[in-house]
Amino acid sequence: MAARAWRGLVPGASIIVAALLAAGCAQGDTKMVAPGLPPSPWISRAVPEARGDVKTLPDGKREAVRYRGWTKQDFGGFRTYAYDDPRPEPPPGKIAMPAGAGDPKKGRSLFLNRNLGPCTGCHLIQGNDVWPAGNVGPDLSTYGNRNLPDEYTFNLIYDPRHVFPNTLMPPWGTTGALKPDDIVHIVAFLKTQKGPLPPEPNPERNPVTRPKPVGFGDNLDPTNNPAVLRAESAEALWARKGPAGKACADCHAGGPRAAMKGVAARYPQYVAGYRRVMAIEDFLTVHSPEATGLPLLAEGADNLDLTMLVKMASNGMPVTLDLARPETAAALARGKLSFYKRVGQRAHACADCHTTAGAKGADKFLGGRLLANVEAGLTRHFPTWRTSQADVWDMRKRMQWCMTPLGMNMLAADAVEYAEIELYLTAFDVGKPMNVPGIRH
Amino acid sequence: MADIGRVRIRIPSSIKPGDIVKARVLVIHPMEIVERKDGKPVDKNYHFINRVIVTYLGKEIAQFETSQSISENPFFSFSFKATEPGQLKVTFLDTHGGKYEGTADVKFA
Repeated sequence: MAARAWRGLVPGASIIVAALLAAGCAQGDTKMVAPGLPPSPWISRAVPEARGDVKTLPDGKREAVRYRGWTKQDFGGFRTYAYDDPRPEPPPGKIAMPAGAGDPKKGRSLFLNRNLGPCTGCHLIQGNDVWPAGNVGPDLSTYGNRNLPDEYTFNLIYDPRHVFPNTLMPPWGTTGALKPDDIVHIVAFLKTQKGPLPPEPNPERNPVTRPKPVGFGDNLDPTNNPAVLRAESAEALWARKGPAGKACADCHAGGPRAAMKGVAARYPQYVAGYRRVMAIEDFLTVHSPEATGLPLLAEGADNLDLTMLVKMASNGMPVTLDLARPETAAALARGKLSFYKRVGQRAHACADCHTTAGAKGADKFLGGRLLANVEAGLTRHFPTWRTSQADVWDMRKRMQWCMTPLGMNMLAADAVEYAEIELYLTAFDVGKPMNVPGIRH
Repeated sequence: MADIGRVRIRIPSSIKPGDIVKARVLVIHPMEIVERKDGKPVDKNYHFINRVIVTYLGKEIAQFETSQSISENPFFSFSFKATEPGQLKVTFLDTHGGKYEGTADVKFA
């Protein structure tokens, strides 16, 4: 891992001062760091597939290490949330539209291709085979009626930021996700989308009339949510003595439910001993080895199960954050910056999909999935059972999953950057009751 | 998983006489699956639940024969007609002689 230049994140004029001071410091001197950030690089204590590593193969190709079944593609060319990643957002690109006629048929299949956009993730088009389409972007079923110039449509797809600076549509051409020739085919296809539209055969086809998902019932019922059973299995871990001769139960008397009551409702929080913001998962990765000698690697099953057990002891209690503390306030501000930072090949920010202001995506369908709204609170039911994965996921794996299809190399699950984004998200949950483990698609 | 044999039964909280009621039952059990060595199944006394007996008001109302194809911590759900208040009992028997019982009280609101 590269040395992290935390000072780069200090907002405003202090950036220059801090950078100059740090530049003048010899190695080993106390470095100037932003409040709430650890002074040295954070050494990840995550399972190998959750560390965000990139390895170089014998033939020189680079391959990202991710969870089993996830893509191995290396997105190292695109910027990430890492605080030591100073790369700016790629500037809007523009090229002349290649000559030659596009093929509407090819264009349609590109539009639907799940390995590219798919464009239908956000835009509805005509055809009963279009499933499931989303409505994050405008319905394009009658785009052809607008008679817009080809060049305009081409450039809108190549990089929409020329026309709409605050768009949430990725700059498909600028970052190389779509080739210029492909865009020519898509332009030709869009011109064929003309009204009048036939009557809609299935209300679920159109994301506007599609019913919203209703959930999976009582998340705390062990006959309904397998995650509850996993959490209960961590009671054995709570009592297991580690190499240091101690178990959790030896210091935290009264059983996990009594000893941990209310603790998780205060997380993520700034932990002075480690000089960073930590969620329960992060804290276990450092606290358990020190107290019991047992490693509890981030994204390992033991860590997840114990996290759920600890969080369940706070169920029903309101989430509270100590935002008056300067380190927490600074971390929250950084978390917010990250939330609005465009990253990855698609130049997306979290805010694009999870806020509503300015025609953003929250509460709309991305393909078949309803995008969660940050204001409803995204954190207080995590770790959560995912019915689509048949597994328990915590907030960090959810974040890592989110950014992989967006074309960003993930950070380590216990990275400070993620912890501070999680802190920002949790701020929307303040006052709302904890409810762990959740159950979601 | 801890608590082998712990049975949990969930029935609706408000039941009227004559209602068809759905019971949800979960038991903690490893439900050992077939091991293979050199492509052949290992012959041994596998540990799994092979019989489930449901009694209501002291009478047996259902019996299920189960096999290793069922997942660990198996979950069963079935419907029955709640005629009178009383006890619903679910008994799980396994291949190692284990007997695990859970009960729920059918009460009319």
